[in-house]
Amino acid sequence: MARLEIRDLSFAYPAHREINTLENVSLSIAQGEYVVLCGRSGSGKTTLLRHLKTTLTPHGVRSGEILYGGKPLCEISLREQTAKIGYVMQNPDDQAVTDKVRHELAFGLESLGCDQKTMRARVAEMACYFGIQGWFHKDVATLSGGQKQLLNLASVMALQPEILILDEPTSQLDPIAASDFLGTVKKISRDLGTTVIISEHRLEEIFPAADRAVVMEGGRIIADDNPRRIGSLLQRNGHPMFAAMPAPVRVFYAAGGEGESPLTVREGRTWLTDTVAAFPKVKSLPAEEKEKKAEPFALQLQDVWFRYEKNGKDILRGVELQLSAGELHAVVGGNGAGKSTMLRSICGICKAQRGKVRVFGKAVEKYGKALFDGCVSMLPQDPKSLFVKDTLWEDLREMTDDEAEILRTAKLCCVEELLDAHPYDLSGGEQQRAALAKALLTKPKLLLLDEPTKGIDSFFKETLAAIFSRLCADGVTILMVSHDVEFCAKHAGSVSMFFDGQILTTDTPRRFFGSNSFYTTAANRMSRHVFDYAVTAEDVAALCRANREERA
Amino acid sequence: MAEGRRDAFSAFHPAVNFIFFLIAIGFGVVVQHPVYLTAGLLGAAAYYFLLYGKKGAKLLLALLPVACLIALFNPLFNTRGDVVLFLLFGRPYTLEALLYGCAVGGMLLLMMLWFGCYSAVMTGDKFTSLFGNLIPSLSLLLVMIFRMVPELARKGRQITEARKCIGKGTGAHSRYRDKAKEGLTVLGCLTAWSLEGSIVTADSMKSRGYGCGKRTSFRLSRMTGRDWGALFVMAVLAAGFLTFAAMGSTEAAFTPKLSFAALQGWNILGFAAYCLYLLLPAAIHIEEALRWRAWKSGI
Amino acid sequence: MKRSAIFTLITLFVLIPLTLWFGMQLSGRWYYLTSTLIVVEIMIPFFFSFEERKPQARELAVIAVMSAIAAVSRMVVPIPNFKPIFAVIMISGIAFGPQTGFLVGAMSAFASNFFASQGPWTPWQMMAYGVAGLLAGTLARGRKMKKPLPLAVFGFVSVLLVIGPLLDLSSVFTMLTEITWAGVLSVFGYGLTVNVSQGISTAVTLLLVSKPLLQMLERIRVKYGILDQRSFEAGKGDAQ
Repeated sequence: MARLEIRDLSFAYPAHREINTLENVSLSIAQGEYVVLCGRSGSGKTTLLRHLKTTLTPHGVRSGEILYGGKPLCEISLREQTAKIGYVMQNPDDQAVTDKVRHELAFGLESLGCDQKTMRARVAEMACYFGIQGWFHKDVATLSGGQKQLLNLASVMALQPEILILDEPTSQLDPIAASDFLGTVKKISRDLGTTVIISEHRLEEIFPAADRAVVMEGGRIIADDNPRRIGSLLQRNGHPMFAAMPAPVRVFYAAGGEGESPLTVREGRTWLTDTVAAFPKVKSLPAEEKEKKAEPFALQLQDVWFRYEKNGKDILRGVELQLSAGELHAVVGGNGAGKSTMLRSICGICKAQRGKVRVFGKAVEKYGKALFDGCVSMLPQDPKSLFVKDTLWEDLREMTDDEAEILRTAKLCCVEELLDAHPYDLSGGEQQRAALAKALLTKPKLLLLDEPTKGIDSFFKETLAAIFSRLCADGVTILMVSHDVEFCAKHAGSVSMFFDGQILTTDTPRRFFGSNSFYTTAANRMSRHVFDYAVTAEDVAALCRANREERA
Repeated sequence: MAEGRRDAFSAFHPAVNFIFFLIAIGFGVVVQHPVYLTAGLLGAAAYYFLLYGKKGAKLLLALLPVACLIALFNPLFNTRGDVVLFLLFGRPYTLEALLYGCAVGGMLLLMMLWFGCYSAVMTGDKFTSLFGNLIPSLSLLLVMIFRMVPELARKGRQITEARKCIGKGTGAHSRYRDKAKEGLTVLGCLTAWSLEGSIVTADSMKSRGYGCGKRTSFRLSRMTGRDWGALFVMAVLAAGFLTFAAMGSTEAAFTPKLSFAALQGWNILGFAAYCLYLLLPAAIHIEEALRWRAWKSGI
Repeated sequence: MKRSAIFTLITLFVLIPLTLWFGMQLSGRWYYLTSTLIVVEIMIPFFFSFEERKPQARELAVIAVMSAIAAVSRMVVPIPNFKPIFAVIMISGIAFGPQTGFLVGAMSAFASNFFASQGPWTPWQMMAYGVAGLLAGTLARGRKMKKPLPLAVFGFVSVLLVIGPLLDLSSVFTMLTEITWAGVLSVFGYGLTVNVSQGISTAVTLLLVSKPLLQMLERIRVKYGILDQRSFEAGKGDAQ
């Protein structure tokens, strides 16, 4: 029997009465199911999820009904909803209410008026189950993003909900923290039988665990099926959502596979071995030329050393990097390796204690303020740190008085439609592009990007990539620091590995990821036993097709 | 928030800590009897240094001149008193007025020492856990502020830096006016960002049941036998010295004539109770240290 | 009659006179203790009515943000002698009314002292900062007053004449050996330079950011349908 049933739900926000954000949505979810909700941003995922908890339901015009255990949701008391339906949101920072980890775990129980004994027991239980004992007494402010989000999950689970709703919970996390988080969600679903409804962009890890995938588009549900079959439907319709599917799914259908697709890298490997045999005729794509850096360099780091405190540890330990003009260079590497510090040293915020940073041949400290006037500009990790005005237009006006220039840049960044909007009314991807426009108004020749794809769905990523390539064509050099291996593999001109304060290797994406075995794309991990240097799903699919034609 | 050093008295229930300071400070700011004052200063200083170690000397060095100034300046305003030390600008500079100045300076010192100890012992965490049931909304508000303050400071730095990297920042050599203006722009950005975040916080509170009934307050510590014991000892001692004080054992006047309640007979009992009370936290601290040493040599 | 109103009356007409009388009975320097107790007693009705109102989640979150911003602007300001804290408190008072303004001020003082150090000044600071919000919420809510220039003048005058002296009063009771007019005036005179600079910071801040900040608070109110001034102070909160 369906635990949760949505019947014919339509909804419109008061500000946009004419557009239905949700349109005739019907969905029923059984006890213990693990359902993943996908769709591009703005497709109505969050609005739908928020309808599943009365306190979070937005104001607006609504029709249809939502039944929980056969009873209309609005008739179920807030108390019961609090205990039965858990909701985790996107932003790890703002969800925490109190200053101590232990207090945060108890918050929900406090609200329900639990007695001390029960609270103590439940809090202890949660701390153990989620492995929080080590930071139980810490201040929430000292935790990393991943820890914060895990804490948010734990403090919701402390109420022992029957249904757990997660709205893009990992979009602000780095891949390792995201993977930890999703692992925990999977564990909850498996160990406790909690019903899970999750909306996510990062599907690679969720698909194998999910029972069902529901795809939304324009407020409607357009597909609702087993994750193994959902890809075929999307591919047949040529739906853009297909690009967001996990690499094995994309490779499978793009190479002409029929029926149920593999979901994990392991399944993908098996399938690939079966299809193209262990010794394929065509082993690799036409070779790329080995990356050669040509003078004059746009950016040159020579043996750069940096530490924050006299007796502190060295964050940069002899960084060597060269960028030729007009290229998009990506630096990948783990958290806390010092990538952001490297960007800071290029901006002159962290002055290197040893070594030289040269921008277009001139030492960075000789520029003074002129460095940011038509030479270097940086897009910060969080676009919100650049918005200071009421509308995007005014924000851009802060940079320059040249209105034609603003319009040109806005157009380049695809935000010309949004100029009158309040920066905080934009979606994550739009904010990112708006901030980029602001950074570009200094007319930089060298653009630094700190995690530009964080929290952005695959469509916005493509838009962003298009903007970058246009910029590069105009002669702008881009240095990007990122965790997003797939994005770098697809769009960067060259890639460097940053580890322990140093740049270890630099190469073209194919050669770079092709020779890594762990730190590489899913498509590469899936295909490395049969193909060389195939790093994107498109690469692998192309090779599969080539082999089939060869055989035929 | 400043994490105090390991201290045995701090490990007691917040109520014990709070009541101790309430009485110690309340008594200390009223009583100017020199013997009581000296004892108070010694007791507070002992605990203060146990808590802060060498760092504590800094505050003391900053405060001593203030206390001395108060002492030295008093006779300039207040010329009453019999024993004239010398004449200054034709006005008598009396011993009594000087001593009174010393007493006031000493009381200021005492107050600062106790508040220093209080700050180290009664952390925000303990305060809110103690008053969580009495003033639930305010404690929750406090706890929320405690969480936001470091986060806001971090965001503020982040904004300043981000703006610098698009050429909007100010350097060390910028004009004061520009710095102030830039500072205010950052403040505006920070406010907008955090207000937007506050809505998420509110949603998160509601989705975890805030507002659906009477709240309870989670406390990590319970009153144990040891806490009750400490409270009992404190109550007996405080009752002792407060009773004697009410009967006049702490009477003291400086000008125009020095007159102090004599420390004899039953009054000694009151004074002894005060001394014991003062030494409680330091004694507990030392007792723990000794116990640890004994345990260590025992294994 | 609401419980908080009864409580206020009791405080004003029973508790405070009683404290004064009790203080007089003490030998020694009773005036610091007594005056501080009275300050605390004056604040109690504000806090009590807040508790009684059972604030909504969104109210709490917004008040917490404003208090935290005030506290941060008190503690972490990179520019010497420039403290926008009073301006932030005043803007909260203007946007949400006198009671909330008082609360933001008092809580920001109290909370920031947990990060620095509590001291004999704590209740006085809570009172003075709270009064900043209270005054702004009462006097500066008219449409004409909300313009930056009148606000700046208001900010300067109220810091110089009310808030600064209130803060100095705690020094009067802790530092002076005897409460004489000469002594009190010399403390106020000594504090004048600080108060003037604080007043200028407040005026400048109000002049430059009061408009955008008030707009932000307005936006939050409109966008989320909360903190409607009437319902906010009357304790009705947002209807869910």
